Parts: sequence; structure tokens; C-alpha cells
Amino acid sequence: MKGANTLKYQTVERNSIVVRLDFRSKLLIIVVISFIAFVWESPIALAGLALLVVAACRLSGVRPGYIRFVVKMMIPFYLVLVITHGFWNIEQVKSLTGKAVLTPLFTFPSSFWLVGGASLSLEGFLYGLSVIFKTLVFVMVFPLAIFTTEVDNMIVSLVRLHIPYKFTFIFSSALRFFPLLFEEMQAIIEAQRLRGLAVEKMGPFQRARHYARAVVPLILSAMTRSQQLEIALQSKAFTGSSKRTYLHEISLHRSDYLVMGLCILFLGMALVLYFSFGVGKYGWLL
Amino acid sequence: MSTETAAILDKVSYLYPRSEKPALSDISLEIRKGEFLGLIGPTGAGKTTLCLVFNGIVPQFQGGRFFGRAIVAGLDTLEHPISKLARHVGVVFQDPETQLIATSVENEIAFALENLSVPRDEIRKRIPQVLAAVRLDGTEHKHPHELSGGQKQRLALAAALAVQPDLLILDEPTSQLDPVGAAEVFTTVRELNKELGITIVMASHAAEEMAEHADRIALMYEGRILALDTPDAIYSRIHLLYEHDLRPPQVSETFHLIDTVMDKHYGHINSPPVRLSEGIPLLDTLSKRCEIVPPNHTIFPLHPGREPALSVKGLTYTYPDGTQALRDVSFDICKGEYVLIIGQNGAGKSTLVKHFLKLLKPTEGTVLVEGISTEAFSTSDLAQRIGYIAQNPDTQIFSTTVQEEVSFALHNLGYSAEEIEARTAESLKEMGLLEVQGAHPLSLSKSDRARVVIAAVLAMKPEIIIFDEPTTGQDFRGARSILEISRTLHRLGKTVLVITHHLYLMPEYAERVIVMGKGTILLDAPIREAFHEVDLLRSTFLMPPQAVMLARQLDHKNEQNWKLLTPQEIAHCFNDPACREKDAV
Repeated sequence: MKGANTLKYQTVERNSIVVRLDFRSKLLIIVVISFIAFVWESPIALAGLALLVVAACRLSGVRPGYIRFVVKMMIPFYLVLVITHGFWNIEQVKSLTGKAVLTPLFTFPSSFWLVGGASLSLEGFLYGLSVIFKTLVFVMVFPLAIFTTEVDNMIVSLVRLHIPYKFTFIFSSALRFFPLLFEEMQAIIEAQRLRGLAVEKMGPFQRARHYARAVVPLILSAMTRSQQLEIALQSKAFTGSSKRTYLHEISLHRSDYLVMGLCILFLGMALVLYFSFGVGKYGWLL
Repeated sequence: MSTETAAILDKVSYLYPRSEKPALSDISLEIRKGEFLGLIGPTGAGKTTLCLVFNGIVPQFQGGRFFGRAIVAGLDTLEHPISKLARHVGVVFQDPETQLIATSVENEIAFALENLSVPRDEIRKRIPQVLAAVRLDGTEHKHPHELSGGQKQRLALAAALAVQPDLLILDEPTSQLDPVGAAEVFTTVRELNKELGITIVMASHAAEEMAEHADRIALMYEGRILALDTPDAIYSRIHLLYEHDLRPPQVSETFHLIDTVMDKHYGHINSPPVRLSEGIPLLDTLSKRCEIVPPNHTIFPLHPGREPALSVKGLTYTYPDGTQALRDVSFDICKGEYVLIIGQNGAGKSTLVKHFLKLLKPTEGTVLVEGISTEAFSTSDLAQRIGYIAQNPDTQIFSTTVQEEVSFALHNLGYSAEEIEARTAESLKEMGLLEVQGAHPLSLSKSDRARVVIAAVLAMKPEIIIFDEPTTGQDFRGARSILEISRTLHRLGKTVLVITHHLYLMPEYAERVIVMGKGTILLDAPIREAFHEVDLLRSTFLMPPQAVMLARQLDHKNEQNWKLLTPQEIAHCFNDPACREKDAV
């Protein structure tokens, strides 16, 4: 029980403008922001956008612990990005900057095995940063929309967008059953430790192998569960048909129209500025 | 079908796909409107299959071969889709987790209604009505995860009620619950039946409750209905129950035994009572009429002076979210003791046990295993000293054969190949699993899977063995067979700890009882003392077994303090040899 509570689906508790918005408005925010992040290459512009999204998350009540957790989880990935782009992504960076020679920051002595002579360029490093901010925008814009919306509203919104009820149902039941699976995974790992498996003495690879072994009983029990679930669903007249009523009503309010308008305006402006004035291109403000 | 009939089964037989053995054989049954029909039978008798016939899941969803006819609310279950039958039949299943689908209480209730295209205003109207009927008012916006086990099952009941069914089917709805949860569900079901006149079909192993609440009981065995009668008639046929691995209520068992040993000139107990409320006056009458023989039992002293196997000193544990699960708990368990730990869910039993295995570390206080602080050990070190058998065998099985499963721990602990082979063979033999050692553990029955887990734990040769709710979800025979293993281990000198809610099973096994409540020890006493602390047990919602309640009455009437525990002990008091000799003369 306790373990599962910590991993419960993380809806925010604070009532904010974002929470009150319709899910469709939030979907539009996701689409527009992701699209702009996709187009932009400027580390400065992307850093600004990432900051904006994180700030919006905080304002709408997404827990700071969750944001820290995501950023921490991504650190190894960020290191890989900075190193690979800084050292080896030479051709793409050259074509982006239009420079024939990149500014070296640091070079390995040529006697070094494998990496000898490789050099970290300022431009490559900055490009690495821009990719980091880009991924950060992608990663944080989803909780901004999803954690701030009750599952019921999400489902009804998706159905209104003509997504078949069957699919939206799969989505909502995944949210319902994830904590259960997590709880069971804990129980299995615990049982393995109680059969003398000294996880704490293992290297990461051995540990991964043993976790993989825990997946077998997990899948088997998930299959039994899904059979029981299917019977329960049928008993509750579930057919998967979208022809049903919904307890929750949703409607677009003035704030939704305002947000949607702003989104489209922002997208239009960003595109115009990007193509006409180079705002958001790699070299912008550099 | 008359207007007084809710459902009718006519010569129903059924075989699951790829099965040669019928799950149901020639079942004819008429369920009257407003009645409460109980289904009893050991695991595998066909109770669940029969429950699923009423809403068409069998055979429409399951497939297989179906013979005969089933008519529910005037509809033939073969001719109408399940989604239509769902308007007339509500079902509550055993596992609270897999039947709650939605992410809030109100959505759970609305789910079936939405599927049936009931207008929104009507749904809004029904939600508070059904929540009031199961006494969950005001929980509309809670997540099912925030509810206790009993509340979850009541929510499942409310959701089934919301469609206003003609028939409500409950398939072992209390088997996963603690005593409070089970009592909540039984009380609610009875209210629905008596006050709202809802027709109920309930499968359950809870003999005492079935005797109390059901109007009729069907005894099932190997897919057939062997007997269909009132609870009084069914539960007084003690031999029939025993032959089919079923347990009578302790009241019936007690009077049946008294009747067997009591001198014939006192007359016969023609129809033994099946409810405590009828048993107590009869006991009074009999004890006035008969000579009462004092029992020859002695209260076994606990084991002072023996070395402690487990010691807990000033143990406090607070979960990271601030919940205090244990408060300043101290006790010793001596080598060779058999200790029963009881208490409601949330009383701190599992939290306590996890400290022995270092799965949790004390917030304050110390835990000693064989005199050494657990701080000195890792969990895998402790696992060799303390065998822990958790409730659900399926989260403790990781291998593809029984033999591999039993040797799993030995490989982890680095034993030599010969040692592994020898220990595995020994353990398999002890648990009677040699014949199935090549089988996949999951192909075995639930009680055999539990034996596989026990064999795997015993292969490590631990001196202390903990059974955590070994009897939950097992039928009478399965529960007994696990407890017999615990007795054998105890006789071999091992220290045994059992956590269970099934108090009536334990007098034959346990010596000492630790009663926990709200993170503290409420009582620590020999079982004979502990089970007679009726007020204390009730204060933490534990029901003493019926035999204890009868024994109290016997003590009260005879102004004695015998503190008997079992039907056998009570019956012994009516076995007066002097009286018999007099007669012979």
C-alpha cells in the first residue's frame, strides 16, 4: 500500500488557471509548444521556452519533487548529448553556423586511445545545450497538461475529438492499474530478496538481469488480472462502443478560447519571426 | 417462469473450452424473488462458474459447451447479449482490485450506467442513493486506492446496485478481507436483502455468516448441487459437510459432538442449532439437565528461561508519509514457540514482521534475531535464519519448474551442486512435491503452489518460520493442510509465527497470541487466556470463535473458569462416564 501511494498518479491538488482549462486547450498547448521547440535551434530561445514551461508547471501546481525527479533522471542522457554533439557532431554544426572552422574549447592529446585528437567545440557544445532544452520542453509540457487534468475530463475530451472510446478507456485503465502493477513488482522483488538474493551486493548488470527475472511472474499475474478485469468489464455492460452516456460534462469557456487564440498567435508569430528575422535560429543572439 | 421467480436454471451442464470434465453438471435451480441463496463448496466445486452463468459470461464470453437453459429476469442467457443481461444482473467478485475500474468512486458507480446509456441526470440521481445504501456517503471524489478493503467491496456492491438489478450475485466477496471488512460486507448485503428486497446469490466459505444470513443453501461439489435446503438442514448434516471438505459453523459442530458423547438417557439433540443465538439457550438447557465433567486440559505455561529467537525492544516505525505504524513495541519470542499474531489490517502486523527481515529499518528501537541486532545482517543473511512465507504464492514464484523454484535460494546462497541437490530433494519430499517436481509451478492448484513456496523457503533450513496470512483465499482443506505443515515444523523444534484472521482454526496449533491494534501490542498471552478476552478482542473488531462464546456461557452457568476453546473440549464436558456406569447398573 505504502509503496503504491508514493507512485500514485500525480494529479495536482492546487486549483489554477491551467487546472480549470479544458483538456482540448491543453492539447493545443502541447502541440504548439512541441512544434516550436522542434523548429527552433537557438540554445537561448530554447532555454527561454524550457524555463517558461517549467515555470508554468510550477504555477499550475505540478510538484517540485516531480520536476527535480525528471531532471535528475535525464542527467546521464544530457551528458551523452553534450559530449556527442560537442566532440563529434561537426558537420551538422558547421552547416548550421555557416562556419568552416569551429572554436575548440578543449582537445584530447593525440596519444590518447580512441579519443585522441578529438576536440570539444564551443558551437557543438552550445548545440548540445539546445538539444537538452528541446528535450526538456518535450518532457515538461506533458505533465503540464496531463497532471493538471482529471482523468474523466481527459476521456470525455478525447471522445469529443472523435477518438474511439475503446482507446481512451485503455488509457484511463492504464492509469488505474499502474499502481497495482508497481505494488506487485515490489512484492516480487521482496520475495526474491527473501530467497537470499543479495541485490545490494550486485553490480548493475547482474541486478538488471534479476529484475528482468521478476518480470515473468509480473506478466503472468497481469494476464490473470486482465482476464478477471475483462469479466468484470463485461459484467458492467462494457462493449467498447462509443455509444454511451458520460457522467461528466465538459464545455469550452471564454478562457479556453483565449488560450487557444494565444496559442495560434504565438505559433504564427514564432514562425514569421523565425523565417523572416532568424529569431530562434541557431545563431540568434550569439 | 412465474412472477415470483428471479432466475431459473434447467438441467444446466457446462464444459470449459478444451476441458473434458464438466465444470457444471445437470444443475436445476429456481431462485425466488427476494431470497438470499448461499452457495457453498470447496475450491473447484463450480461456484464461480455457476455465478457467471447468471449474467451470460458463461458461456458467451468463456466459450466451451453449454447444455440446458438459464432464464434470468425472463431472458434466456443464450439469446441475449451480456451487455443486455448486465441491466438485470449485478455481480461482485472476490478480488476488490480487479473489479474497480474507474479512477473515482462516482465514476465507478456511473461506469455500467454510462455503458447502458442511462441519461446523465438519472446517473447523478442514483449515485448518492446507492452510496447511502452501502454507507459510503460523501466519498464520491475519492480514488478507489484511498478506500480500505471492506470499503472497496462495498463500492463494488454500490456499483452493482446502481443498475437496479433483479439479481445480485456475489462470488466470495469477503475472502480477501479482514474481519472488519467482512462484517461490513455481510451486514450491508443483509440490509439490501431484508430492507430493499434484493435477490441475492452469494458464494462463500464463511460458514457462521452463511448460517446467519442465508434463506437457503446449495451445497456444490464437482459441478453438481448435492443438497439444497435451509441453513439449518444443511449445516446439521455434519458428515455430509466433512465428506466434501466443508466446515460447519462451530455451533453445529459443538452440538453434533455433544450429541455423540452425551449419555442417551438425557435424550437426543434432534436438530442441532446452526446459529449462536440458538446455541446459547440450548447449552443452558443441556447443562442443567446433564452432569458436567470438568475438563482435563492444563494451561501450558509459555517458555520462560528459554533463549529468545526474536526480540523487539522499544520499536517505533514511522512511514515516510508520517504514518506511525508501530509505537514503542517490545517483546521476546523464545526458541520453539508457536505464536499467533492477530489484529486488523493496519494494526502493524506486517510492518512488525518486515523488521525481522530488515525489509524495514526501525525509526527507533532495536530488533534482535537470535540475540544479534539486525543491523549486523543483510536481508539475504536474515532470510536464511527466518523463512518468510507471504500471503500470495504467485508473487513468490519465479521459476519454470517446481524443482528449480525450490533450489532458487540455494543457488543465490552459493551452496555446492551436491548440497543443492540434496537439500532440494529433501524439501520436495517433505512437502510431498516429488511427483510434480518437473511441472510448471503455475500449473498446480493454489494450495499446491503454496506448498511449493513453503518447500522453497524450507530448503534454506531456517530456524524461525513466519506464515503471513497463509489461510486467506484457501478453502477449509487448503487452510488445514498449510497449518498441519506449521505444526510439523513446530514439533521439529522450529519457532513458528502465524498471522491470520481465521481465529477459529488456531486453537489446535498456537500456544501464544499477540493481539495488535493501532501499532501497539494490546495483549500478549497464552491462547487460552487471549481468546477469552472477548471484550478486548471485540474492541479491535476481532470476533472470537463461536466455540469460545459457548465456552464462556458454560463457564458462566457452572461458575467455573475453564476457558475452553474448541467444540471438542466443550463436548468432552458432557461425556460423563460415571453417569454411564450408573445406567449400566
